[in-house]
Amino acid sequence: MSQTTVVTAAKEPSLWAGGRSPYNVSYGKMMTWFFLLSDALTFGAFLIAYGTTRFFSAVWPDANQVFKSFPFAGERNLPLLFVSLMTFILIMSSVTMVLAVHAGHYGDKKNVAKWLQWTIVGGICFLSCQAWEWTHLHAECGGLWGAFTDVNTPVDQFRHFFGEKSLPYVDAHPLVAMQSAHGFFNYFFTITGFHGGHVTSGVIFNILILVNTVNGVYERRGHYEMVEKIGLYWHFVDLVWVFVFTCFYLL
Amino acid sequence: MSAHHSNSIQHLYEGDQSKLYSGVMQHHADVNSDESKAQVKRIWKIFWILLVITIAEVIVGMFYSHHMNPAVKAFFFLALTVLKAGYIVSVFMHLGDEFKGFIITVLIPLVLFVWFIIAFLADGGFWLRMNESSPARHTIEHVAK
Repeated sequence: MSQTTVVTAAKEPSLWAGGRSPYNVSYGKMMTWFFLLSDALTFGAFLIAYGTTRFFSAVWPDANQVFKSFPFAGERNLPLLFVSLMTFILIMSSVTMVLAVHAGHYGDKKNVAKWLQWTIVGGICFLSCQAWEWTHLHAECGGLWGAFTDVNTPVDQFRHFFGEKSLPYVDAHPLVAMQSAHGFFNYFFTITGFHGGHVTSGVIFNILILVNTVNGVYERRGHYEMVEKIGLYWHFVDLVWVFVFTCFYLL
Repeated sequence: MSAHHSNSIQHLYEGDQSKLYSGVMQHHADVNSDESKAQVKRIWKIFWILLVITIAEVIVGMFYSHHMNPAVKAFFFLALTVLKAGYIVSVFMHLGDEFKGFIITVLIPLVLFVWFIIAFLADGGFWLRMNESSPARHTIEHVAK
């Protein structure tokens, strides 16, 4: 081997030689990404199943009719307002999370702790909103999963979930409409429930890393990569909500 | 293998590796540097963009979407959703700051969704046509009454 080759090799060691990541990310961070990728496929499968059911239904409940209530607003018609508040809370908590990650990059322990606390507050606010919405819909449907399965259900119990344009069809084919209402709520509770489960575990992870941060675990370790990894998870949960919001409330 | 040896492997793959790639080596300790401030500014900029897009979506969803052509409505909401998702992934999750090879590795499997969505929604539409034209459905409704 000539001298020049050795010098070049020392300058620029091949990525195939091992010892460093070609992507410049650690094992843990890369696997977090791949985990989130698989989670995205799960959520995607749920939402596409929802879409398929919707496409093979002749009528479908109208989001502006189903989601028109706001806590303490009584019977007033406020479509989409409450879910907009929930979306705002989640976007806000995503911002506080990314600020915690940013502080972590600079080893700024105090600010990591501060922004993690706000993220936890945001997550708990979101979950509280969801608990209210589920309670409200539970009362509206007379159950969570499996409501509207009895063929003798009077049409009045689900007629108000449909938009004006669909009403002639609903009255002509009440059973088809009931099946749609059944599908709509089953998917709604499954998908928002699965998402809410992610938010819940995200809040728990955030509490754990907050405790570690305050105790100086990451300071001693020399980096806040764990905050970054939990941050990825938290942003992913926000990302899923963006799609849930579109599929259930807007389309 | 001695305990000492496995400890050193642990050190190489866990401690060192994250230190190498978590950015602490390149990053300066000063959180008040211009670079740091520019990044915080970028985060808040994205927040405002996401907020404005969401408000636009809600306004259209409340007042206009019922009078829109279904295809235009779907395109409008899905385009804005993908735009929001892009901002979150690229800036909040810092994927935009990673190596190009890594970005491609993460995004390529998601291309499956193109097939996934088209295939399943088309199938749903097919079933609707089948059901609507099936005499069996009307029989069931008759029996239920």
